[in-house]
Amino acid sequence: MVNLLFYAAALVAVLTAAGVVLARNPVVSVVSLLSCFGSLAVIYLLAGFQFLAAIQILVYGGAIMVLFLFVVMLLNLGGLSPEAEDRDAPLFHDRRRSAGGLAVAVALGSASLIGILRGARHLTEPTNGFVLPDEGYDALPALAEAMFTRYSLPFEAASVLLLATTVGVMVLAKRQRSVPPAGEERP
Amino acid sequence: MSVPTEHLLALAAILFAIGVAGFFTRRNLIVVLMSIELMLNAANLTLVAGSRLHSSTGAVQVDGPILVIFIIAVAAVEAAVGLALVIALYRQKQTVSLDAFARLED
Repeated sequence: MVNLLFYAAALVAVLTAAGVVLARNPVVSVVSLLSCFGSLAVIYLLAGFQFLAAIQILVYGGAIMVLFLFVVMLLNLGGLSPEAEDRDAPLFHDRRRSAGGLAVAVALGSASLIGILRGARHLTEPTNGFVLPDEGYDALPALAEAMFTRYSLPFEAASVLLLATTVGVMVLAKRQRSVPPAGEERP
Repeated sequence: MSVPTEHLLALAAILFAIGVAGFFTRRNLIVVLMSIELMLNAANLTLVAGSRLHSSTGAVQVDGPILVIFIIAVAAVEAAVGLALVIALYRQKQTVSLDAFARLED
């Protein structure tokens, strides 16, 4: 029953991921990616990672996708005419480049699938068949202890990265005034 | 859930391949960024599968979930910077098509 739920969520994830790539309208892509992240959260939950499922919903679904949706609406990309959308997203127009990209993706995907399926018999699956601990595989006390002892340097680096990003994004997105190039006299 | 690890890995591989396809074929800058997010999620799923496999054999290993958390943080940073760049480029050319930004000098 739980396994069936996993395969259903996996099917939804693959279909919505394909929808992200195939949709003409960027708004459809964003909503599709949102459902893909939702089904991935279901998969994390089923696999025993409750905290990661919550983070997936909160950060990906709540923050990152809203950011994407906000930019799509800010730039008014959803309401373009069909011709303009074709010009912006010519998936099937530039056939040479599309075929090249698809060939790379299919080669990569089939190579990794073959590798996974051939290497699967070398995996030592647990004999008791994945008995889930009560607190799951990402219990917060264990996670916090590792985060603030062994991983404290990456943790601090991440905070510096977030600060630098906040400042950098504000500078990038600020409306630029027409400043004369350096060395020229302002008339 | 007693799904074998290789099925989780196969799902991750399929999602990654779809992300690569979107990255190479789409010309819309925003959809390209979304394809990158898709690939990062496939990597997260791989880490989750490995962590589950290694945790269930003995003591719980939290290295996988911690790496996933850091990846999510970096993905948020990447999305914010990428979208700010999209807005800045849109101001220059009034389009988000990658073809308009093929030349560096203008």
